[in-house]
Amino acid sequence: MTHSRLPVLGPLRLLTLAAALMFSLAHADEYSDVSQLVRAGKLPEALSKADQYLATKPRDPQMRFLKGVIQRDTGKTTDAISTFTRLTEDFPELPEPYNNLAVLYAGQSQFDKARTALEMAIRTNPSYATAHENLGDVYAKLASQAYNKALQLDSSNAGVPPKLALIRELFSPTGAKGQRPGPAAVTAPAAPAPVATKPAPTLPGPVVAKAPVVTPPATTPMPASTPTTVAATPAAASSTVVAPATATAAPAAAGANPSKDAEAAVHAWAKAWAARDVKAYLASYGKDFSPPGSMSRSSWEEERRMRISSKSKISVKLENLTVTASGNTAVAKFRQDYKANGLAVSSRKTLDLVKNGDRWQIVKESTGT
Amino acid sequence: MKVGWRTADMSRSILNTVLVALAVLASLPSYAVNPKQGSKPKPQRQEVPVVKDQDGVAEARLIEIYRLIGSAQNREALAKADKLVEDFPHFQLAQLVHGDLLTIQTRAIKAFGDVPDTVARSAGPALAELREESQRRVRALRDRPAAGTIPSQFLALSQKSKHAIAVDASRSRLYLFENSASGLNLVADYYISVGKAGTAKTAEGDQRTPLGVYYITSNLDPKSLKDFYGSGALPISYPNMLDSKRGKTGSGIWLHGTPPNQFSRPPQATDGCVVLANPDLQHIIRTVEVRTTPVVIATQLQWVAPQSTRAESKPFEDALHGWRNAKTSGNLQQVLTYYAQDFNSNGKTLSQWMPTLKTEIDQTQGRTIQLKDVSYLRWTDAADTMVVTFGEVADGTRVGWTKRQYWIRQSNQWKIFFEGVI
Repeated sequence: MTHSRLPVLGPLRLLTLAAALMFSLAHADEYSDVSQLVRAGKLPEALSKADQYLATKPRDPQMRFLKGVIQRDTGKTTDAISTFTRLTEDFPELPEPYNNLAVLYAGQSQFDKARTALEMAIRTNPSYATAHENLGDVYAKLASQAYNKALQLDSSNAGVPPKLALIRELFSPTGAKGQRPGPAAVTAPAAPAPVATKPAPTLPGPVVAKAPVVTPPATTPMPASTPTTVAATPAAASSTVVAPATATAAPAAAGANPSKDAEAAVHAWAKAWAARDVKAYLASYGKDFSPPGSMSRSSWEEERRMRISSKSKISVKLENLTVTASGNTAVAKFRQDYKANGLAVSSRKTLDLVKNGDRWQIVKESTGT
Repeated sequence: MKVGWRTADMSRSILNTVLVALAVLASLPSYAVNPKQGSKPKPQRQEVPVVKDQDGVAEARLIEIYRLIGSAQNREALAKADKLVEDFPHFQLAQLVHGDLLTIQTRAIKAFGDVPDTVARSAGPALAELREESQRRVRALRDRPAAGTIPSQFLALSQKSKHAIAVDASRSRLYLFENSASGLNLVADYYISVGKAGTAKTAEGDQRTPLGVYYITSNLDPKSLKDFYGSGALPISYPNMLDSKRGKTGSGIWLHGTPPNQFSRPPQATDGCVVLANPDLQHIIRTVEVRTTPVVIATQLQWVAPQSTRAESKPFEDALHGWRNAKTSGNLQQVLTYYAQDFNSNGKTLSQWMPTLKTEIDQTQGRTIQLKDVSYLRWTDAADTMVVTFGEVADGTRVGWTKRQYWIRQSNQWKIFFEGVI
């Protein structure tokens, strides 16, 4: 379980936090204990456990981060601000403390400070989605304040502060199993997946034509299925599972139209997003999907869930969609017009898809060209 | 989801839609944007501290932001706008542009000052005023007077006047000149606001700014003023003799500053005064002299080459010298031919004023009258008039009077309709 954290850490983080990280691996249980207490709403206990831990390891970023979240949850905003501020000073390369600092500032209607913090978060990690979205909200708020000043309107009653997404954990929390709703739990054993796909090319051709139709329903790891089935599958078995998938796609002889199917998957993804169907939306992402930045799959999912369900209306329109499929991989490029709660963002997007069984799933999502 | 906030599309859309008028700014002559004044000191980088109260700086920085927007450099524009509103939080136009620059971080914008609909509904007039202010500022900077030209009113300005001011209401602009031996030089110009009801004041309370030739009459102590007037006030000589002759009423027309909560005011916002941003007004107060600084306020200034007015002013100069020669000759009847029938000097009709004239002629005792430091400013509307100022000294005397005369052209003859010692 613990190593699941590794893939989501960028090289920078690994480098700069090497010491802290190794340590944190050893103390994974403490983190999860504290997280668990927080989740259970036992904040004082969580805080005292965090303090206990920090008494021996005062620099530990993960626990300090958790402590900041606890302080925030208990309404100790000033303490939380100082905790996250010091984290940004000690670990300026981490975007999350900046993000949470921004959340706290925004809660106090200090939007300039929130903006600065978010811009730092993004400078630290340009693809940090939460910070981008939070910053969008903060920009909108600042714009509205600027307009009020321009028109000499009373901005004291200019509505409620935007609700920004707080990052609850610095790294993927360990021991999250069982505490998270279905799909999230699947992420932990993600490691086997790459192993499963890699052997495919080396497989001999003959296996190809066999039973591609039969296997998928049985073996495709639906998000709802328990992780144990995948994890328990021995390497040999998993290669047989995956082989048909790669095989069907490769020669296109099976008669299927891979780009059509991949295209349908992209549309389904956009539709689920716009329908705020979080379950279907998250299910569009394959096990191998690497969340943007250094987020863990579970915190990414949590964030997505919050982001999507908090909107009253979402519109996602895809334009100029082109899908290039080759074997069991496909690349979809399009312009995405996203509108939600007054926020409108148009961006170019690329989705890398991989076919698992008969399902095309997103394994990489990138913005820009 | 990774979201690309700043796509090329948005840059284009703001380039195309936001400040259409600003596209022309790319062709503006570099307008007093001193990069050293451009930003406040930041903790990280050592920069020259901004001189906030320097005149014209806020506008120059705003225009620099427009220029950046015009060349699709929105990030740089936003950074500069951040600083500008920090330094001038009450510069509403800057706030509006800042709002737009923040907004385009999240969505494309449709118009300059793309405020939410609800705001547009509740503050529509204010928004329209800011847009107008923006246009006026841009237009004034785009359509600069040609180098070396001066407003057509300034036919002759003696060295007694070290400075002169001209206001172009159509451009919401005040031009400040320095008067040297070589003539008038434009040294600065500022955005100004005039009366709510525009110009051409005729009556008290009409909320119009007067049009004509005036002089600064005093410099009011800012401490004696309400906050509303900002950093000071320079009353001007409204109503002048032409205004009085025409029965215009009202008083208390000042050049003054802005209240603490407003860096600048909309183009038409005052009760008739000419209002400038405080740093700009302060510069004027520090520069100009009371009594000798003319203030010409026109709907639209005509800019002419100084020498081109020579020929035009010849008939008037001839008349003025004719008057002097007649007075020197001591022939009262001949002198009187230079005076208009409706002459009025501070309530005295021509016949009531004749004894004064006669006394002056008697005192001269045939000595030649010299006119020194002659200034004459022409004001032409329905009538063609001349505001003349000079020192009148008879040869052999050490002192004379400083006189002001108002002349009017009647059937091609220049006649005096007011004369007084100032």
